[in-house]
This record gives sequence, structure tokens and C-alpha cells, in this order.
Amino acid sequence: MNTALQEKIGAKLESYTFKVEAGKVKELALAIGDLKEEYLIGEKLLPTFPTVIDFWGGGQSIGELLGLNGKKVLHGEQEYEYFGEMKVGDILTVKGVVENIYTKAAMNFVVIKKEYFNEQDELVLISRSTVIERH
Amino acid sequence: MNDGYQLKPIQKEEITHTQLVKYAGASGDFNPIHTVVPFAEEAGLGGVIAHGMMIMGFIGQAIGEWFSAEDLVKFSVRFKAMTKPGEKITVRGNIVDEKDDRWICEAEAVNEAGEVKVKGFFEIKR
Repeated sequence: MNTALQEKIGAKLESYTFKVEAGKVKELALAIGDLKEEYLIGEKLLPTFPTVIDFWGGGQSIGELLGLNGKKVLHGEQEYEYFGEMKVGDILTVKGVVENIYTKAAMNFVVIKKEYFNEQDELVLISRSTVIERH
Repeated sequence: MNDGYQLKPIQKEEITHTQLVKYAGASGDFNPIHTVVPFAEEAGLGGVIAHGMMIMGFIGQAIGEWFSAEDLVKFSVRFKAMTKPGEKITVRGNIVDEKDDRWICEAEAVNEAGEVKVKGFFEIKR
């Protein structure tokens, strides 16, 4: 494998914060078509709401950090482990790290681990995203 | 999928270009392969493809209908195939194991031809 890429294992991502707003919860529910009242009024968050935190929280592009070819990058896997409640009004801080990089079937696999902390500094969520770069 | 207790399938409406635009705005994922047809064609995709995370969201919706989403402990998916506007997704699920404190389940999002788009695993508190 590309050694320059290998050396990125352990690299930390810039941390970012995001305030959970009811309007964003409703917007995601409407886009997915998951119209449960608790989502429309922002009483609960959808299981995939963390993707909103990642894109709107202004986290840096993984592709740019690792020098991946954007046209050849796919989202391969996504995993969430829920440790605590996240709710509207929370200000979450996200800390990410390049957990692993490996090559399989002539493709590069990059595993990004992110930890989400609330204002009490409690870990509420761990996310692992596997990004695939085709050669 | 493995054998196990079968959960009631959830049928989603046909995916539209408009839905992908809405999902882009909601999620903040503005990668043009999901919304800009000429760009997606140039990228060799033959048109726009749905955000994988939206299909994971369909499975998340099903979990909230089968159980209570706030009881989710772990939820993971593998993206297996691209989904395009015009396709209709069904989410199927099975309870494959039970522990003292949780159910271990599998789910998959398939199109009308039975092609698996997203394969999911989740654990939920009992």
C-alpha cells in the first residue's frame, strides 16, 4: 500500500461543535420520509441524525486530509454505537481520528472513528465510517 | 438473511430526484453525484445516485417502527449497491438472536427486483 496513506493512521481530525436544532431534525425526518411525531417536533433524534452533525458541523473533508481521489471515493460502511441520549439544544463536540487504513481487493479502506461528547463531557455516541477509494 | 423471527417489512415510496435534493439539504451532503445529473453522468454513474445514508435512514425508520429507536444500542450497515431515483425500497428485518438485555437483529434494504442495497445489523435493548 501507499506509504504516505499508511502514515495517516492515528491522524486526528479537527474537532468541531454542533448545536442540535429542532428544525434540522424535522428536515431530516421529512427528507427520509420518517414522519414520526417525535421527530417532527424535535422531541427525539433519528438514529442517523449524526450525519447532519458531521456535514453541517463543518468537519474537514476526509478526502482532502488523506489526499483521496474524490471521484473514486465511496461510503462503504457506517456504524453507530449509542451510549447516551442526544437531544435538541445539546451542543456536541466531535473528535475524530483515522483509526485504520488497509488495502483489500485493490481498494484502499479508511476507517474514521468519531466520538461525540455533550456539554457535560459525557460520551454519547461513537461513529465509525469506512470510506473506500477505488484504484 | 439468517433465519429468525421476521419483522414486518416496511415499504418506502419511489425515490425521486426531489427527495435527493431534500436529503442533500437536510443532511448537508452536497456531493453533486446525488443531485446534479450531468456531473453524475460524467462520473460514470449513468445518472444521480441516492445518498447511502438516506437508505440507512430508511432502515432507521423501520427500526423505530419495529421497536423504539431510543432503545438502539448499536446500528451498523454495509452499502452494497447504488440506488437511483425511480427505485422503490423495502426494508426487511429479522431478530436473529437474543441476549439477556438485548435483541440482535439484521435488516436489509432491497429494491423491487430483490437487489440488496444496504445490509444492516442492529442491537436493541429489550
